[in-house]
Amino acid sequence: MSAAHDALGHLMAWADWRSLAVLRRNALVYFRNWKTAFLPPAMEPVVFFLAFGLGLSGYVGGLDWEGERLSYTAFVAPGLIAYTAFGTPYYEALYSAYVRMFFQKTWDGILATQVELPHLVWGEVLWAAARGFMNTAIVCLVLAAFDAAGMVELHTAQLLWMPPLAFLAGLAFAAFALIFTALVPAIDHMNYPVFLLGIPLSLISNTYFPLETERPWLRVLIDANPLYHLAETCRWLLVRGEPGPHLGPLALSAGVLLVVSIVAATRLTARRVLG
Amino acid sequence: MSALLEAEGLTKRYGAETVVAGLDLRCEAGEVLGLLGPNGAGKTTTLRMLYGFATPDAGRIRYEGRDFAELRTELKRVVGVCTQEDTLDYDFDVRQNLRVYASYFRPRVPELAARVDELLEQFGLARFAGMSPHALSGGYKRRLLIARSIVHRPKILFLDEPTTGLDPAARVDVWELTDQLRRAGMGIILTTHYMDEAERLSDRLLVLQKGKQVASGATQDILDELLGDHVLVLPVDDPAREAFEAAVAAQGLSARRVLRELHVPVDAAGLAAIGAALPGTRLTVRPPTLDDLFLALADEEAP
Repeated sequence: MSAAHDALGHLMAWADWRSLAVLRRNALVYFRNWKTAFLPPAMEPVVFFLAFGLGLSGYVGGLDWEGERLSYTAFVAPGLIAYTAFGTPYYEALYSAYVRMFFQKTWDGILATQVELPHLVWGEVLWAAARGFMNTAIVCLVLAAFDAAGMVELHTAQLLWMPPLAFLAGLAFAAFALIFTALVPAIDHMNYPVFLLGIPLSLISNTYFPLETERPWLRVLIDANPLYHLAETCRWLLVRGEPGPHLGPLALSAGVLLVVSIVAATRLTARRVLG
Repeated sequence: MSALLEAEGLTKRYGAETVVAGLDLRCEAGEVLGLLGPNGAGKTTTLRMLYGFATPDAGRIRYEGRDFAELRTELKRVVGVCTQEDTLDYDFDVRQNLRVYASYFRPRVPELAARVDELLEQFGLARFAGMSPHALSGGYKRRLLIARSIVHRPKILFLDEPTTGLDPAARVDVWELTDQLRRAGMGIILTTHYMDEAERLSDRLLVLQKGKQVASGATQDILDELLGDHVLVLPVDDPAREAFEAAVAAQGLSARRVLRELHVPVDAAGLAAIGAALPGTRLTVRPPTLDDLFLALADEEAP
């Protein structure tokens, strides 16, 4: 009963002023260097789109997707958004949060105030998801420019949905990453969550190429992967102009991942930081 | 009237090991309570329980008569914490360190800008206000840590080894700042490894050993209680060393070697008996100090 009560408390801490104070602290640091902070997310989709979208599409030609023939650029553009919505919060919560916790001792300073550990965890998760929102918005602007230039054909009005979707899914990805932030003994060990989880997750998600499989175990993994449903929802919105059938599974898989990860990350972080 | 801080029966276990065992303590407004003890005595764990970093397995903590377990968030507003480790926020400059830290407290710090300016002046940090903490010396970083820990005007301040690693001038600065805060009515709980610091700053001492209180009170009372009235000193190469050690052993005592000397804390009767057993031997007698106490406790804890 007490464990369940604690878990509920951890989940509800998101709305507390203390979680927002941690979010504000990270945002202040980020916006102080906004020029350099905004450049990489703007350049990354340009490079990816030019290299993979335009470069590869000459070789790949078109792709069959949901009974429709698509250009590779139209296929990969939503995937680029989904990967940004995944990668930004995931890596923010892995690397940047680890640096704040382990090297800078920022968390120790904050925890000596009225801020408690669940607020700190939520503050980090909210901030990582907010970064996902911003980077996704930048990618959307770049894609809108490509659309205007006739390099890809998308329902550009639907781009407005992408940053909020990225924020909501990003909460789950960030919370999941914080579990490893609490677990890895040294920053070198971050390779495990990156190469054993981050990259495989992005490969079984229909981001850069369509995945068709008859293997039941792989099908289960794909169906449980929120990134897959996010990529497909983005694709339905941008290609067909409607949410499609993946929105419900996205809400369910991301919701479950968020709840489980927040509780686990809070407990593991408490063990690591508070002893 | 309730004490500013009162703890009863404070206990903390890690696995099978009891790190703090049934500790009682009090701290009043305008008082400095020094927590002393060798490494592993339970000082830092005690502090961590008192300011909420660790949850006691048993016991009760009250601030101004109110239960900390029940009113944790509200009561954390009256507590300031200056940890031993440097936890300054290096993503911000000196002024921002104070401003951002204040944002972690509710009710909000009234007239924050004026409060920050006041602290920058009081702690001699005004000329560094726009600089990164990286630019500060160790002593000034410590000043900033203390200033930051009181930006929200707490009533009680925890200072965990505030002068470790500082040069003598910087140590004196921290002593003066601590004394200013005490005179302003703040209750302060101090841990330190420097016995001169504990003696100069503390109004009362609480001596811990293996997680238990072994003495509490004014410095001289504690020394009298735990060590006796005098310390006998004999050079190790003195020809009377063997006879000296035999006379000490006859009193149920043992001599501790400190560099090139043997030290034995004794009471008046013991001094008379040892002196009588060693006619013609030149013994040095001096009053006991907290260093003697610290070494005696460390000796008892040694495996």
